[in-house]
Amino acid sequence: MTNNQFDNLNLSPNAKKLLKNWRTILISLILLIIAWSGFFQIGPEEVGIVTRFGKYTRKVDPGLNFKLPFFEKVQKVAVERQQKLEFGFRTIRAGVKTDYSTSGYSNESFMLTGDLNLANVEWVVQYRIDDPYKFLFKVRKPESTLRDISESAVRQIVGDRTVDEVITVGRTEIATKVEEMAQKICDDYSLGTRIDQVVLQDVNPPDPVKAAFNAVNEAIQEKETLINQAKSEYNKVIPKARGQAKETIQKAEGYATERVNNAKGEVARFNALYIEYVKAPEVTKRRIYLETMATVIPMLGTKIITDEKGSNVLPLLQMQLNEKTIKE
Amino acid sequence: MKDKKLILYLAIIVLALILITQSTFIVQETEQVVITQFGKPVGNAITTPGLKFKTPFIQKANFFEKRYMEWDGDPNLVPTKDKMFIFVDSYARWQITDPLQFFKRMTNERGAQSRLDDIIDGETRDHVAAHNLVETVRSSNRVPVSSGAVSEEIGDSLANITVGREKIQGMILKSSNEKAKDLGIEILDFRFKRITYEEKVREQVYNRMNSERYRIADKSRSEGQGEASKINGEKERELKSIQSLAFKEAEEIMGKADAKAAAIYAAAYDRSSSSRELYAFLKSMETFQKTFDDQTSVILSTDSELYKYLKSMK
Repeated sequence: MTNNQFDNLNLSPNAKKLLKNWRTILISLILLIIAWSGFFQIGPEEVGIVTRFGKYTRKVDPGLNFKLPFFEKVQKVAVERQQKLEFGFRTIRAGVKTDYSTSGYSNESFMLTGDLNLANVEWVVQYRIDDPYKFLFKVRKPESTLRDISESAVRQIVGDRTVDEVITVGRTEIATKVEEMAQKICDDYSLGTRIDQVVLQDVNPPDPVKAAFNAVNEAIQEKETLINQAKSEYNKVIPKARGQAKETIQKAEGYATERVNNAKGEVARFNALYIEYVKAPEVTKRRIYLETMATVIPMLGTKIITDEKGSNVLPLLQMQLNEKTIKE
Repeated sequence: MKDKKLILYLAIIVLALILITQSTFIVQETEQVVITQFGKPVGNAITTPGLKFKTPFIQKANFFEKRYMEWDGDPNLVPTKDKMFIFVDSYARWQITDPLQFFKRMTNERGAQSRLDDIIDGETRDHVAAHNLVETVRSSNRVPVSSGAVSEEIGDSLANITVGREKIQGMILKSSNEKAKDLGIEILDFRFKRITYEEKVREQVYNRMNSERYRIADKSRSEGQGEASKINGEKERELKSIQSLAFKEAEEIMGKADAKAAAIYAAAYDRSSSSRELYAFLKSMETFQKTFDDQTSVILSTDSELYKYLKSMK
């Protein structure tokens, strides 16, 4: 009947040939659709989990793969890709200069420390899916589960440390402990994830007490400065004093040598003279007296020579006086 | 004739399709199923995935989640034993372990979540209220690592605990599970997510933290001043000691030299009466030379030894 209908139409011989083979065309079309829905590609960072009628059958590796059309379904899981969860902040736009936002996430970062103080801890959890079967089929909402685990673990670890440890020396240790603990909980839940790294980002005291924490740091700096200043003053004064002390002693020694040598010299001179003096005391004495006078008298200013009887007025003296008055 | 045949074929195909869809169902890896007949559960629950069969039309497949499911509590304001008001935000993961029982008791997941709210919130309240705040925060009695100057001041501020967070979580989990036992579910884990102070308490904590820090700051500053004073004092002491020692040594050296010189002089001058006389004479001569200058006026008598020849030669 259908053939008759086609015969009535005015068609080219080629079209007629095509129509004659419609069964072949239909079958090849169906085969094409099967091939189309049967072959699938798995990216290099993924694996495919194939389920037949909902039941897990196999895991397929990256590349071109085939599944039964309609009966089998594939779910792709990026097992090689490292994924990241951020706590207390979110990356708004990653790039050379990455933008972060912290507002609105303070609930995540705000926590009690072991000494019942408060601290703001921001951190990142990097993880990979290491068991895609578990990841898909064991826990509903695995990502939010991992978030819950991380928050709980960080708080438990931070809760066993002082606020000072959290802010200063404890950072790396806390990160390691959180990693261990979170991994253990992940395993307990069969989450199928491997935590690669937990990194603490900004760890700060809460804003209302920041000033006080800074004051402590400043005070410590100030303490160091005061001590350093005192030490530097000490170092400036003491070595100088030591040098000066040496100088004083050296001078004293110089004096001592001089004094003794002078004494020796003077005594030697005296002794020499004494030997001669003993031989002719009167003459020597007189000679020395007159010699001394001869050197002393010319140095003197006014010289008045008197005679007890006053009869002899010395013209020499007079002349000398006149000369002096004229000069004045 | 041909048309009628075609319609018949089509009808058979449609009927077969309806029959197939009514008698088979697919259970995913994440699901489990309870079969009900006119609303009444029949047989065991189906917990394995795959293609399953049932009686068409009269039986119905009820699907339930097989995976661990989340339970996230609202933050509850709870007083602790030491009368601190804190917000406790916790989470749990749970699973339908007995779908049949679950179907009978809860019907659906939403009902279960609300039952869990009641159970876990109640248990949390009870256990938190039975312990001091620090017990819900710390989980061991570890000794804090010193972080330098500051922790020396407040290093012992970690209070010791007897129970701890981990155990309290465990107790809440255990007693919640007991209460949830006949619901066909099991709670896998319960944990505190966030514990924070209530707003008013938070202010007090800030005040305490502030005063603590300022106390440390003051202490540190005064320590610095003290240390500086100490060094300064040491400096003064050492300075005086150096200077006085040097003075003492110098004086001793000079004294010894003086003594030696005196001895030398005495040995020479004090030899005999004539040596003494010569010394006295020489000294006075020397004194003349040293003390007379052009400002000195002298009146010399012609009777003196010097000018006695001025008058006449005797």
